[in-house]
Amino acid sequence: MRIRLGWLSAAALAFALPAGAQETVKIGQIEAQTGPNAIYGWMSSQGLPIAVDQINKSGGFKVGDKTYKLDLTSVDTRGDPKEASIQLKKMLENDGIRFVFGPFLSNVFVTIEPYAAQFNGKFLLMGGATRMHDFVGAPGHDFVIRTWNWDAGPKGFGNLMVEQLVKNTGAKKIAMLIQNDQGGKVLADIYTAMFKEKHIDFQLEMFDPGTKDFTAVLAKLAAGKPDVLFPGYGDAAIADIVRQSTEGNFFRKFFLVRGSLGPGLKNKDEIDDYFVYVPKYFEAAEKTDPKIAKFVADYKAYYKRDFPYDQAPLCSSSCYDHVFMLVEAMKKAGSVSDIAKIRQALVSMTYDGLWRISYDEKGEEIINFDVVHMTRGGKISVNSVEAR
Amino acid sequence: MLQLVVGQTLNGVIVGTLYGIIALGVTLTFGITGIVNFALGEFMMIGAYATWYLVDHVGLPFPVALVPAVASAALCGLAADQMLFRFTRNNLVNGLLVSIGLISIVEAGALALWTATPKDMSYVLTGALRLGGVSLPKIKLLAFGLLAGVIFLTYAALARTWIGRAAYAFAQNPEAAMLMGVRTDLMQTGVVVYSCALAGFGGALYASLYSLEPAMGGLYILKGVEAAILGGIGSLIGSLVGGVTIGVTEAIGSIYLPNAFRDAYGLVFVIVILLFKPSGLFGNEL
Repeated sequence: MRIRLGWLSAAALAFALPAGAQETVKIGQIEAQTGPNAIYGWMSSQGLPIAVDQINKSGGFKVGDKTYKLDLTSVDTRGDPKEASIQLKKMLENDGIRFVFGPFLSNVFVTIEPYAAQFNGKFLLMGGATRMHDFVGAPGHDFVIRTWNWDAGPKGFGNLMVEQLVKNTGAKKIAMLIQNDQGGKVLADIYTAMFKEKHIDFQLEMFDPGTKDFTAVLAKLAAGKPDVLFPGYGDAAIADIVRQSTEGNFFRKFFLVRGSLGPGLKNKDEIDDYFVYVPKYFEAAEKTDPKIAKFVADYKAYYKRDFPYDQAPLCSSSCYDHVFMLVEAMKKAGSVSDIAKIRQALVSMTYDGLWRISYDEKGEEIINFDVVHMTRGGKISVNSVEAR
Repeated sequence: MLQLVVGQTLNGVIVGTLYGIIALGVTLTFGITGIVNFALGEFMMIGAYATWYLVDHVGLPFPVALVPAVASAALCGLAADQMLFRFTRNNLVNGLLVSIGLISIVEAGALALWTATPKDMSYVLTGALRLGGVSLPKIKLLAFGLLAGVIFLTYAALARTWIGRAAYAFAQNPEAAMLMGVRTDLMQTGVVVYSCALAGFGGALYASLYSLEPAMGGLYILKGVEAAILGGIGSLIGSLVGGVTIGVTEAIGSIYLPNAFRDAYGLVFVIVILLFKPSGLFGNEL
């Protein structure tokens, strides 16, 4: 009976599929679409389906003599490493997905890395997590491609931002208040070294994830009379930190390399300076760049709602451009399954999409970015920076 | 430095009253029903989210939103009591297990309804009072006043009304109280519901101070239980004093020691006090 049913199913399937049926390439995404640190993942999960939809609606893409469409599986990890591990395992072992976008959170990456490394050479993981920097280009980690600028180094975006901060505010002493987890510790390591190198005095305090009342530590930091507060890194904490800083009259100048403009805007009348790194400040960019204007219009048409300008600045290249890059890389490699060739084609490419994207020798991305400087009352100036 | 210490002592007192109101719920519930309701933090979360929803989505002014928000926490408390807690009366372990199970259910529900993304309610009251060099946010002062007021009113009601005296009598000798005409089932349900309403009230004020997350209740119930133990289980004023003591310990500890371990400072203080006074600071009351 079982055999007969099997034959019946096969026959039904053969009739159901048209003769010239298109092949699909499965892609996946593991991001925190919700949760305290969802600011990066949420926007990435918004952009990716638009790119997939556009590629599929244009008839797909041709590699060799076959035409392919993309099949996206996007899951919400909630920033929970356990959840991300389960989802990645399902993608790689059950769903046969070989191209995974994400994660943006270091704690998630560090947890999935040992498991993912077992599949080295068999899939690509394209995410922006800070901790990915330590693995990209390392032996046994060809699967890692980092889709975010690196902070440190002579041309690192952090370096450029600190230079701008000093130039604009004359800051000589910076108070750092950083989340006590994987991402936060790396952030503290990068910037304390950078400040030392630039002879900028600094104080560092860490806080536990989930902390809500920062008043005591803010008061302690403010007593050292620093010029600027450098909080990191999720908006959930930054919203409370910025509010309590201004209400308690502890700080009115802020410097952010992780986190969005949102908490600053909510307290705009109480803030003197708010410097924030954003891959793209869409409000300004859409007025000058037709590609950005088209992306905003496409977003509105796809989701039938207004563009989330407050969240969008933390949209990264892997939220949209990377899907087109992956398709181009497959075409160039002449294969949808030769991972090594596709990786090589991807990292040797210079792509001009929403961002100008290239890679360094290890496989870490270099993109142009914006530094937004908000002053009291919400007056905003944007400085677009070429990373290299 | 003195200014810093004074400022943070005041801040610790204000934050501590929030621990105190949860501790009050813990001590009342334990005194009357014999269970430690670890799910009280979840009723605080319900009050907080209800307030956020009513203020930011329905458009109610904060003082108006407080009433239905507290009522929703109380109603959820009534449902939990009738469906779960009434079967675990005076059974510490069963009550504990049920309340821990309830935490999972309520948190999962909140995640499904509102996601894990924090909600930052519109500001209710901005600005700060400056006293010397110390700056105290007006909203924190308001929250402190309301929380302390409710705690003292509860204390006064228990000390001076028939219901209050009945509750004390019931806590001391349930059989004797029953023989004197106290309706024990109603008394126990009433106390559970009132404790949940207190937690909901704390949650509503929390929403005016901090951003909200579904897991927020977990931290506050731990602080509430710590405060109740420090103050002495069964002592209403002990709850407030315990909460304030933990709040101040955390604030002052964060000044002199690394902030990353601030949650531990209150706990260490509780352990030290219990070594010398195992029944807590006001443990002999009631």
